[in-house]
Amino acid sequence: MSEPAGNDASMEKIRQESIAAAEEAIRKASSRPDLHLVQAIQALDDTDKFLNVTATRAVEWYGLHFPELFPIVQDNTAMCRLISDLGRRDSYEAEGLQGRGMTDKKVEAVLIAKARSKGGEISDPDLSRVKALASLGLELSGQRDRLNEYVESMMKKVAPNVSQIAGATIGARLMAKVGGLDRLAVLPASTIQILGAEKALFRALRTGSRPPKHGILFQHQEVHMAPKWQRGKIARTLANKIAIAARIDYYRGSEEPSVKAGLMKRIEGIKEKYKEPPKRQERPERSQRRGRFQRRDKPRRR
Amino acid sequence: MSAIRREERGGRTVLLTKSLLRGDRVYNEELVEIEGEEYRTWDPFRSKLAAAILRGLPDDVVRPGDRVLYLGTSTGTTPSHVSDIVGGSGLVVGVELSARVAREFVENVARKRKNVIPFVADARDPTKYSITKVDVVYCDIAQQDQTEIALENCRQLLRDGGTLLLVVKARSIDVLKEPEDVFREEKRKLEVAGFRVAKVVDLAPFDKDHAMILAAS
Repeated sequence: MSEPAGNDASMEKIRQESIAAAEEAIRKASSRPDLHLVQAIQALDDTDKFLNVTATRAVEWYGLHFPELFPIVQDNTAMCRLISDLGRRDSYEAEGLQGRGMTDKKVEAVLIAKARSKGGEISDPDLSRVKALASLGLELSGQRDRLNEYVESMMKKVAPNVSQIAGATIGARLMAKVGGLDRLAVLPASTIQILGAEKALFRALRTGSRPPKHGILFQHQEVHMAPKWQRGKIARTLANKIAIAARIDYYRGSEEPSVKAGLMKRIEGIKEKYKEPPKRQERPERSQRRGRFQRRDKPRRR
Repeated sequence: MSAIRREERGGRTVLLTKSLLRGDRVYNEELVEIEGEEYRTWDPFRSKLAAAILRGLPDDVVRPGDRVLYLGTSTGTTPSHVSDIVGGSGLVVGVELSARVAREFVENVARKRKNVIPFVADARDPTKYSITKVDVVYCDIAQQDQTEIALENCRQLLRDGGTLLLVVKARSIDVLKEPEDVFREEKRKLEVAGFRVAKVVDLAPFDKDHAMILAAS
């Protein structure tokens, strides 16, 4: 069928060498610090979700016993601390509440609420379950904070410039989205600008609706704090600088403060030049808009 | 002789390949004992080659004894069946760039199967794995220029009269074009390069917007 490339023994030797080389390549690729960062940011997002679900449940359950507490405290983690530390509402005293970082005004409100609570009695077994749930919430909250610190400090090492420009969490999310710093470093800024908004982008290409101005970058405060008409411009500038920063991080690895300075200058320029909202512009009728891709007139098969 | 078996089960055709390694499961597939031989069921939803065969690709595109260059092994699901088919006298040279999935390919397939040689390499650089000419080039990589990459590999490593199996992922080549147009354009590229295209198989319903092109040099 095919000419022999060698006898079995020599092929087996090549195979063993290839396996060894492949395993070495895998080992090397798996030790990249940016891959650990990608896992860490995803763990952070996961932990956030668990935390939310767990704490909300603890608060809801405890609400049967002391429904007036949450409207005063208004914070899931703080609620979890009170539930797991203090237990029944009878044991809420001014001292214990102040010791847990509550303002005098709130302490007073809690004590009044305690005196005329509409909550029901809670049995010991019920209480101990709720308390266990609340301490799990507390633990998750601590874990989330520690992961956050880890991401911040690792980003400073792995991608100091991206970290400067985009912020540690956003930078890490961008890396997670594309699979690592090496990939981020070769992406065009226009792609970085809309990472995370793929659905809107492809809808725009298909139907001719407006393309998204930002994806993950919306989380950056310079973008989401800006007035609507500036956001696209700021997101574009931000993406440009992230692209430069990622390249410096990947290929050189040292900090380069001029990128940040350049970014701030551009953003100031945008804010100055586009202070006023633009006048409304006429848009073509929906039916007149065309994407790069003609609308499908025939229904898709399958 | 075909190394692939078909069984009718409840009105559906099930593909099987004869186990090269008795009792070895690669992805939790079902093992079936037929006439004293063990066969592994071949899931068309997880393997595009199985899907293509069910959709009309000839059973004997890959034959016992063949040497196959497999580009884009991923975790090794399909390569394990190709390894079954070519058997002990054949060879599968498996190339995968992503370390994450290559880890499973090496661990679960290449280490155990003596007819598989793994390379963690870029299919854009065939010199990294040019250990032998092959009878079949199988290419399943999600790249915009996948056809060009496959052709370069064929030029360097496919024997005269060998077979190219190219999985065309329309969505990786151009998300906006109609898949049928993409399939036609990629087919045309092969013909310009001197290949005879024997068949273009649409892999629906197993894979959306995918086709398998069978061509001979």
